[in-house]
Amino acid sequence: MKRHLIGITLAVMAVAFGCGDSRTVLTVYSPHGKEQLVLFEERFEALHPEVDVQWVDMGSQEVLDRVRSESANPQADVWYGGPALFFERAAADELLEPYRPSWAGSVLPEARGPGDHYFGVYLTPAVIAYNSEAVDSAEAPRDWDDVLEPRWKGEVLIRDPLASGTMRTIFGMIMYRSIQETGDTAAGYEWLRKLDAQTKEYVLNPALLYQKLARQEGVITLWNLPDVLRVQDRVHLAYVLPESGTPVLVDGVAVVRGAEQGEWARAFVDYLGSVEGQLLAARSAYRNITRTDIPDDSLPDWLVNVKRELVPMEVDWALLETRGREWMRYWDASIRGQGVR
Amino acid sequence: MNSSRRGSRVFVALVFAVLIWAVVYPNFVVLIESVRTEGGLTLTRYLDFLRTESELRALWSSVWISLATVALSALVGVPLAFLFAGYEFPGRRALGALAAMPVLLPPLVGVIAILFLYGESGIASRMIQGILGLEEPPWRLQGAFAILAVHAYSMYVYFYLFTLAGLARVDPAVFEAAASLGAGRLRTLVRVTLPLLTPTLAGASLLTFMTSMASFSAPYVLGGGFRVMTTQIFNSKLQGELGVAMVETVMLAAVSLLILWPLSRWEGGREYVAPGKGTRSVRVRVSSRWAAAGVALVAGLGVALLVLPHLTLLLVSFVPDGSWTTQTLPPVYSLENYVELFSEARTLRPIINSLIMASAATVAAVALAVAVGQLVVRWGVRGKKLLEGLLILPWALPGTVLAIALATTFSVSQPLTLRWVLVGTPWILMLAYTVRVLPLTGRAALAGFRQLDPSLEEAAASLGAGPWRTLRRVTLPGLLPALAAGASLAFVTGLGEFVASIVLYTHRTRPISIEILSQLRDFDLGAAAAYGVLLMLLVAGAFLFGQRWLQGGTAA
Repeated sequence: MKRHLIGITLAVMAVAFGCGDSRTVLTVYSPHGKEQLVLFEERFEALHPEVDVQWVDMGSQEVLDRVRSESANPQADVWYGGPALFFERAAADELLEPYRPSWAGSVLPEARGPGDHYFGVYLTPAVIAYNSEAVDSAEAPRDWDDVLEPRWKGEVLIRDPLASGTMRTIFGMIMYRSIQETGDTAAGYEWLRKLDAQTKEYVLNPALLYQKLARQEGVITLWNLPDVLRVQDRVHLAYVLPESGTPVLVDGVAVVRGAEQGEWARAFVDYLGSVEGQLLAARSAYRNITRTDIPDDSLPDWLVNVKRELVPMEVDWALLETRGREWMRYWDASIRGQGVR
Repeated sequence: MNSSRRGSRVFVALVFAVLIWAVVYPNFVVLIESVRTEGGLTLTRYLDFLRTESELRALWSSVWISLATVALSALVGVPLAFLFAGYEFPGRRALGALAAMPVLLPPLVGVIAILFLYGESGIASRMIQGILGLEEPPWRLQGAFAILAVHAYSMYVYFYLFTLAGLARVDPAVFEAAASLGAGRLRTLVRVTLPLLTPTLAGASLLTFMTSMASFSAPYVLGGGFRVMTTQIFNSKLQGELGVAMVETVMLAAVSLLILWPLSRWEGGREYVAPGKGTRSVRVRVSSRWAAAGVALVAGLGVALLVLPHLTLLLVSFVPDGSWTTQTLPPVYSLENYVELFSEARTLRPIINSLIMASAATVAAVALAVAVGQLVVRWGVRGKKLLEGLLILPWALPGTVLAIALATTFSVSQPLTLRWVLVGTPWILMLAYTVRVLPLTGRAALAGFRQLDPSLEEAAASLGAGPWRTLRRVTLPGLLPALAAGASLAFVTGLGEFVASIVLYTHRTRPISIEILSQLRDFDLGAAAAYGVLLMLLVAGAFLFGQRWLQGGTAA
C-alpha cells in the first residue's frame, strides 16, 4: 500500500512539474494587482508568443523582502512597481541589474534611477479617499490635517503601513514636513499619534480595506490614486487631492540581478515605457505616466484633470530612504495602537 | 546476527542524521545569523531585545495566549470526545464527523471565514445589531480575545481527535473491572480513564500549545494593536531587519522550549499500557427517548455553532464581486465565481501543487515517525529523549522562521556540508511541509506505540517472524488508528499550509493558500471564498479517508 502511494505520488509529481508548455517563463513580481497585470501579460504575450508571463502579486515592501531573501537564487526576472526609494534600497543591496531602456530619454528626469538600476514608469500620487455614500463631497476632508478633526475619530481605516509603499510614503511625508517646519521629528510623531487615535483599524491588505470601506466600518482612508480609481465603482469611493500638496511617488521597474530570463526581462521593461505601454496603462489601468512626449489629447479625461489639479509636494526622497526604517520602527513600537479608541 | 546488528546500527544512525539535517541544522543557521553582523559576533541585538518593552510584552502575550488556548481547547474537545465515544444517540455518527469540521478550515481560510461571520460588519454581528436595534456593532472582533476565540475554535480538534483515538484503544474490560470493584462513574473517570488517556492528553496539549505559539494568521488578521512574537518576526523581516527577526525567533524558540520541556516530561513520565484483547468497546445507549433527543439536540446545537464559519464561506463563495456592501446578508448570488475558477487554466495548478506536496510530506513524515517510534519505544536506543525532542522541535519554531532557515540553508550548493540549492524548487516546500507536520505524525506514532502491547510483537518474534515481517504484519496494523489520525491531520495541515509557503513558494509551485491570498488581495472575496470551499472539500475528502481507516483499524 505504502509503496503504491509513493509510486503514485512520484508519477503525479513527474506529470505536474515536468510537463507544461514549452514557452519561456518570465516571472514578474508586482504590487499592481491582477487586472493591470493580466492586461500587460496578454499584450506582451501577443507581441512575443514564445514568452509566458507569470506574475506574482504582492505589496511592494514584500517584493523587496522577497527579492532580498531570494538573492542567492533569484526567482523573479522583473520587479514591476513600487516607490523609487524601495528600488534605491534594493540597488544599494546589489539586488538589481542595471539596464538603460530604449525610452530612458523620454521620461521625466526624476524617473531615471541613478546608475540605471531602475526607471520610473508611473507617477502615483497619494490621496485622501472616502466612502461617497456615507460622506458628502462638501463634507469630506480637503487636506491632510483635516483627517485629524474630531468628527473623523474612529472613522479612519488604514492599510497596514509596514507592508505598504503608499502608506510609508505618506508617513514619510509627514515626518519630512515636521523636520522641514520644526527641525525635529517630534511634531511628526505627534501627528502620527493623533492619526493613530483617529484610526479604527490597520487593515491587513488592500482588498480587506476596500471591503471594510464598502461596508462603512470606517469611511475615510489614505491611499494611492490609481487603486482608488480602479475600485471606485465597486466600493463607492471618491478621492481628494490634498490642497497643501501630496507626495507623488515615482513607481519604478527594474531587472532583478541574476534573472534567469534577463533578455526577456529587458524586453518587458522596454515595453512598459514604450508609447504603447504607457498609453495602455493610462487608458486601462488609471496610471499617471512618466513619459513627457505624449500629448494631453491622447490621454483620458481623468488624467488630464488630475494633472491640472494635482499639487506635488516637495519631498526629500533621500532622507526618507535613510531614515524611513527608523521612523517606521518607532511608529510600530511606540505609536501604533496607543491612541485612545 | 552480527550483520543484522550492524544493519540496525546503520538504521539508527540514518534516522538521527535525517532528523538532525532537516530539523536542527537550518535552525542552527538561524542561531548563528542572530549573533552575526558584518563586524563579527555580537550580543547587542539580544540586549536591545531585552530592553525594548514592546518586544517583551509581545513575548508574554504569546505565552499566555497559548496557555489559555490549551485550557479552552481541552474544555471543549475532551468532553465532546467522551460524548461521541461513550454514548449512542440518534445522529451520533454524522454529528461526530461534523464535530471535527474546524480542521477543514486551514488557518488563513478559517480566520477569513470567521471575519465574514463575526467581524464588525459580519453577518452574525449585523444580525444581532439589527435584532437588538443597537447603534454600534455588538462586539469588535479584535485583540486578544478574538485571537483566543479563533484559536480555541480551530485547535480543540486536536483534543477531540486525540481523545477519540485514545478512547478507541482502551480495552473496555478495564471499565468493567472498575465497575465490578465498586467504582462509581466519577471514580472510574478520575482513577482509570484519565490516567489511561494521559499520554494522549499530554500529546494534545503539547500540539495545541505549540501550534498556538506559532500561530500567525489569527494575530496577523485580528490582532489590531495586540502583538505576539510571530507578527513581530514577520514585521521585522518585512522591514528588512533580518538580524532583529532572527533574535526574535531565537527568543520565541527559547521560551517555547522552556515550557515544552516540563510538559513533555509529564507526558513521558506516565506510561500505561492497556493489555489488548481485541474486545470492541461498547457505547452506552441513551435509554430514555427524551434523554436521547436531548443529547442529540445539545450535540446538534454545538455542532451547528462549529459549522457556521463553513456555511458562511460557502455563502460568500456565491457572492458576485462587489455586490455585497452594507446589507446584513449578501443580496445577490450566482455561480460566477465557480465558473471563473474552473474556466481559468491556471486555477488548477495550485490545487495539484498542494495535493502533491502535502501527500509527499505526509508519507515522509509518517515513515520518519514510525522509524523514530520503533527506535524510542521498542528498541529504547541511546538518545531516545533526543529523538523525541527532534520530533517536536518544529513546533517550537514558527513556520516563517523554519521557512527562512530553509531558504538560507538551501540556497547554496555545498554538498560537503549537506547543502544544496533547493530554493525555487518544489523540494524545499515539501521539506518544509514534512518538517512542519512531523510533530503531528510523530506524536501520534509515539502515543500509538506506547499503547500497543509489546507482548504482541514478542509473540510474533517467538513464532519466528523477522523484524520486518513483525513490523508489517503486527506493529503497523496495531498502529493504524494512531497513524491514520496523525497522517490525516498532517495531510490536512500540508494542504492548507500558509505561513512557510508564503516565504518559499514560487509561481510554479504556489499552493492553494497562496492563491487564496492573491485572490483576496485583488478584492475578489467571492473567488477567494470559492477557493476556500474547494480546499475545504479536498480536506474533507482526505479527512473522511483517515476516519475510515481509524474506524477500520479499531474494528480489526
